[in-house]
Amino acid sequence: MAKKIKSNVEELSNTQKELVFQKSEKEKLAAELVIAKKELSFLKKEKEKRLAELGIANKELVFQDEEKGKRAAELGIANIELAFQDEEKGKRAEELGIANIELAFQDEEKGKRAGELIIANKELLFQNQEKEKRAEELIIANEELLFQNKEKEKRAEELIIANKELLFQNKEKEKRAAELIIANKELLAFTYISSHDLQEPLRKIQTFVTIILENESKNLSEDGKYNFGRMQMAAGRMQQLIDDLLAFSRITTTELKFEKTSLSNIIDQVKAELKDTILEKKATIEASELGFVNIIPFQFRQLMYNLISNALKFSQPDIPSHILIKSILVKGSAAKNKKLSFVKDYCHITIKDNGIGFEPHFSERIFEVFQKLHGKEVYGGTGIGLAIVKKIIENHNGVITATSQLKKGASFDIYIPA
Amino acid sequence: MKTKQRNILLADDDKDDRYFFDKALKEIEVSANLITVNDGEALMAYLSENSEQLPDILFLDINMPGKNGLECLQGIQCNEKLKLLSVVMFSTSNDSQEISMLFKSGAHVYIHKPSDFSELKQVISHALPIADDKMVPASKVKYILNA
Repeated sequence: MAKKIKSNVEELSNTQKELVFQKSEKEKLAAELVIAKKELSFLKKEKEKRLAELGIANKELVFQDEEKGKRAAELGIANIELAFQDEEKGKRAEELGIANIELAFQDEEKGKRAGELIIANKELLFQNQEKEKRAEELIIANEELLFQNKEKEKRAEELIIANKELLFQNKEKEKRAAELIIANKELLAFTYISSHDLQEPLRKIQTFVTIILENESKNLSEDGKYNFGRMQMAAGRMQQLIDDLLAFSRITTTELKFEKTSLSNIIDQVKAELKDTILEKKATIEASELGFVNIIPFQFRQLMYNLISNALKFSQPDIPSHILIKSILVKGSAAKNKKLSFVKDYCHITIKDNGIGFEPHFSERIFEVFQKLHGKEVYGGTGIGLAIVKKIIENHNGVITATSQLKKGASFDIYIPA
Repeated sequence: MKTKQRNILLADDDKDDRYFFDKALKEIEVSANLITVNDGEALMAYLSENSEQLPDILFLDINMPGKNGLECLQGIQCNEKLKLLSVVMFSTSNDSQEISMLFKSGAHVYIHKPSDFSELKQVISHALPIADDKMVPASKVKYILNA
């Protein structure tokens, strides 16, 4: 029995242990049930939420269906529209076909033009190259011009200075001209005094002398007659001086009127005036090749008179006087005189005689006023004749020269503008 | 025309020239009655006083003080009563411009006063008959007497 009681106690302890274990298992299951219960309640809640959400989703779907219906209707309309547009597109396509043909033609034309343009471009290119060359040349030319302009400016400045100088000189000349006008007026006054006041008393002396010689001759001694004769000669000389001076001043003061005049006519007039002297000197005057000259007629007649009467006066006592007058047309260069223009035409008049002539070194002096080469007892005259001749030639813008050798005649060469 | 008495009027301011003229006239064998006046003013006064009995001929000097010969000549030509008068101008001048001016102003004759007495007589005796032609004033004879 002790073994049986031990076995029973062991059995009992095991059963107890089983019971404790079962109890704890039960407790575990109870706890799991609690959790499962909680889980179920949560799932239930979730199902409710999903249901609610499904309700909303269904509503949404209904709305979407409605919308789809609307879209379908709109699509129908849109399809009709598209069909119309397709039709329109067909028309446009046809039109485009025509337009394309047109474009093709235009393209061809454009091609042609392009070809022409290429040629034209080549031409332009060539021209541009030429232009560039010209441009380069122009640049060089411009530089040259610039230089020339600078030079011109320099010259212009120099000219301005020269002009100022000229202006000053002109003013001076004007002053001189004004002075000359005054001097000329004085000369005119002198001419007047000479012609009237100086001549009056002289004429009276001469008249009284002639009255005495005419009426009282028989009452005078030979000596008295001689003295009266000398007095008459002196008075005559004075008259000649006054006359010549008057003629000389008239040459300078009277108006110069040029006319185309026959030189032969003038020589004929002078020959007529000197008829008696020509006869007395048995002179021959040979005038040839005389044409028309542009001269102041009355002055030139005086000139010819003075030269021819001089030639007659200074003839050689034993040889008949021969005077040769000729006139030819020459260029100024032929005259070899620096007062004449080389290029202008001149009338060259020569008066040559076979008289007593003069020594060459007198060839200038004989033209000065009051210059005489001989005593007045041998050859009369006042020494004004050739001065008048020179003045007249100056009035004609010409020159006169005299060449001679003693006893070999004299030659006067006149050059006046033709 | 026989030598009828001519009334000659001379206007000259120069005493010697009046003497020469008077002497020359006396030596020329013409019958003449000479009246002299000494200047231009006196001449014009004489002429206007005697416009009904004008002289046959007037010898008129040019260069006179006051009214000169040219002015007298122009005055005579402007006067209807005087313009028929024969006028011989008388001067020392030889100036052709001056002389042509005188003829333009109505002078009949111009005498360049000579310096030789016999020449003076000559020009006066030449001038006298020319002046007698005054009856035909339209054909005024223009003479320059230069001895």
